[in-house]
Amino acid sequence: MTTVEAHSHRARASEEELREQLSNMQALLVLSMLMTESRDERQILHLACTAVPSLARCGLEGVYLVDAGWVALDDCRGDDDGRIPDRGAVGLAQVVDQLIHLGAGGGGVAAEGRGWTWAFPLRGMEGHLGYLVVSASVAPSPGEQFLLRGLAQQAGIALANARLHASQRATAETLAATVRTLERSTAIHDRLTRVGVAGEGQAGIARAVHELTGFPVAVEDRYGNLRAWAGPHRPDPYPKDPVARREQMLRRVIREHRPVREGGRLLAVAQPRGDVLGVLVLVDPAGSAGEQELVALEHGATVLSMELARLRSLADTELRVRRELVDELLGGTDEDSALARAQALGYDLERPHRVAVVDGRARARDDDAFFHAVRRAARDSGVGSLMVARGGAVVVLSDTDGSWEVFRQAVLSGLGGGRCRVGVGGRCERPQDFPRSYREASFALRLQERSNGSDQVTSFDDLGVYGILSGMDDITGVERFVRSWLGDLLAYDARKHSDLVATLTSYLECGGNYDATAGALAVHRSTLKYRLQRIREISGHDLSEADARFNLQLATRAWATLTALREGTSAT
Amino acid sequence: MSDSIELGIPGLSLDVGDHVCCFYRGRSERDRILGSYLGAGLRSGDRCVCVLDGIDQGAVPALPDQVLPDEPLGGQLDVHMSQDTYLRDGSFSPAAMLTFWNDVVGSAIASGYLVSRAVGEMTWALRQMPGVEELVEYEAELNYFLPRYPQVILCLYDLERFDGDILVDILKTHPKVLVGGMVLDNPYYLEPAEFLAARR
Repeated sequence: MTTVEAHSHRARASEEELREQLSNMQALLVLSMLMTESRDERQILHLACTAVPSLARCGLEGVYLVDAGWVALDDCRGDDDGRIPDRGAVGLAQVVDQLIHLGAGGGGVAAEGRGWTWAFPLRGMEGHLGYLVVSASVAPSPGEQFLLRGLAQQAGIALANARLHASQRATAETLAATVRTLERSTAIHDRLTRVGVAGEGQAGIARAVHELTGFPVAVEDRYGNLRAWAGPHRPDPYPKDPVARREQMLRRVIREHRPVREGGRLLAVAQPRGDVLGVLVLVDPAGSAGEQELVALEHGATVLSMELARLRSLADTELRVRRELVDELLGGTDEDSALARAQALGYDLERPHRVAVVDGRARARDDDAFFHAVRRAARDSGVGSLMVARGGAVVVLSDTDGSWEVFRQAVLSGLGGGRCRVGVGGRCERPQDFPRSYREASFALRLQERSNGSDQVTSFDDLGVYGILSGMDDITGVERFVRSWLGDLLAYDARKHSDLVATLTSYLECGGNYDATAGALAVHRSTLKYRLQRIREISGHDLSEADARFNLQLATRAWATLTALREGTSAT
Repeated sequence: MSDSIELGIPGLSLDVGDHVCCFYRGRSERDRILGSYLGAGLRSGDRCVCVLDGIDQGAVPALPDQVLPDEPLGGQLDVHMSQDTYLRDGSFSPAAMLTFWNDVVGSAIASGYLVSRAVGEMTWALRQMPGVEELVEYEAELNYFLPRYPQVILCLYDLERFDGDILVDILKTHPKVLVGGMVLDNPYYLEPAEFLAARR
């Protein structure tokens, strides 16, 4: 080959090399467009990695990402199994150590069995992403290395673009999900607010929550009694937990401040002003209720709280008005005012009434429990619905002449034991009669107390001479009569703290029967005989003489009446 | 006859004699490109030759409706399958395929068509069959065939299926590239002789 020919050959080779390089550059440009168009990191890395052998005489060792480590070629193609580089003959740990210390500019790394290994940096707008690691037996030409650097740069930019896009898409999806949740929440709120405004009550609330969630819904009162149900498969009879378990569940719901799951049910409490008034239940045996269902349940419980608070407020108001009416009637009020108040309550005051005073207690002292027991018994036995608590007793305005003993037994049954005594006043034809009937009932009850007998019903109408005596306006004559017949005995009892008048009373009420009297007084027969002898000596009366016995019995009853009247006066 | 022909994509045109590689992602984008390209050809009165890959037999009957719903085709559209063309006899032969094009395009021009507009779906080259490794050489040789007739040829490459190394070689052998809604000139594409020499 001549010098000219050699020169010409070199020039042609140089031109071909240049054209090859330019052609590769053009290919790189298009590859860059394709990678930038892609939103999939794996597609980008796949394109970049598989293009390496076409741009330079070298092979791919792998892609190392700062946040993910080695990315396998298979991984680039979409498989998730493994992070081993496709041509991972190099010692991975050794290479990774070098990459960590290499910095963002990339550079050569030592790899066993490779003549030349280079880590080209993948860089995005936000910084360094990792390396495209290639190797060859000998170093590629500067032109080829330039192409590889360009390929890595473009892959890095495309990668950063894809991540930014994914981040924006994730943000948009999160935002869209938030908007959907808000829309759903607003729809739930709107639906339940409409129920509240429309006054659809507990049944409407149950129906709305059922429609919003698709689950059967129950409204229970505090004690577990069913108040409303919406949806299929309503249990009949409705199951009810034991009291202790129910209270335990309520404490748990209150403590957690959110719906809780118990068995196949999600429960939320309606708890206005701290009191649990009801429970809203989502029946979900499969446990498939999600966040939206919980939102509907919580909103539903809030609306139920408002509804139950409204009902309780109404009940409280009615109770207060009833109490005020009873107070006014017992204290003596203007008839027109009482009738107007009763009419507002829908109560017919112009029927005949009696006042009853109910005294007693549960086994454990609890005035509320006693009041509620009287109220329930009055309602169940039809005794009456107007009542008020006064001085530990309950005063009932009764519009019926039913069996007071049945009522008393109902109170005891409601209390589960304890004591209950009833005093019933005379008949009231007009509102002005109520104070009298109340006095009579109270008197009858006090007389019963003084008799030391068993708990019972004492009707003023059955008191006979007691009733006559208690109704006298001027009692000075009565007092004089009592003093003339019992004065010495009363003085002796006061001085010696003895019970001679009570013994005499019992003896006369038992018709002079020794055994009955000893039994009533719970004393021995000889003790009774001794006391009667003392009574004869002190009073100077012969108990076997008929006239004396009559006057003494009248005197003891008068004395009991005066005592009961005095106690009534001091009590008021 | 104008040297410029409508590609079917608004704002884009090709020149008679162009050999274009077109990159797309997935079947729906392929169908859009096919519809636009063949539709524009049918409306222009060009002879349209379409070679689809065999796995899409079901797509063939739907194609005419998609590209020209209101007019009869009258033999203007000539649809073939890859197994009857590129892979006839169970292997790929660049020479046999060039003969096929010569016969089809030559007869079209002889019968009076002013332009032949061809399109080939290239996914057949991904199959493990004899001769498919000669794809890039075939693409280079095709550049010699283009000037023989008034024609354009569009080669379709699915980016979801072809690797980067093939794409780089494909890019080197096509004077124009249709990508991302743009037609890019490739002034540095390698002449067939250069490319083939470099490969050897």
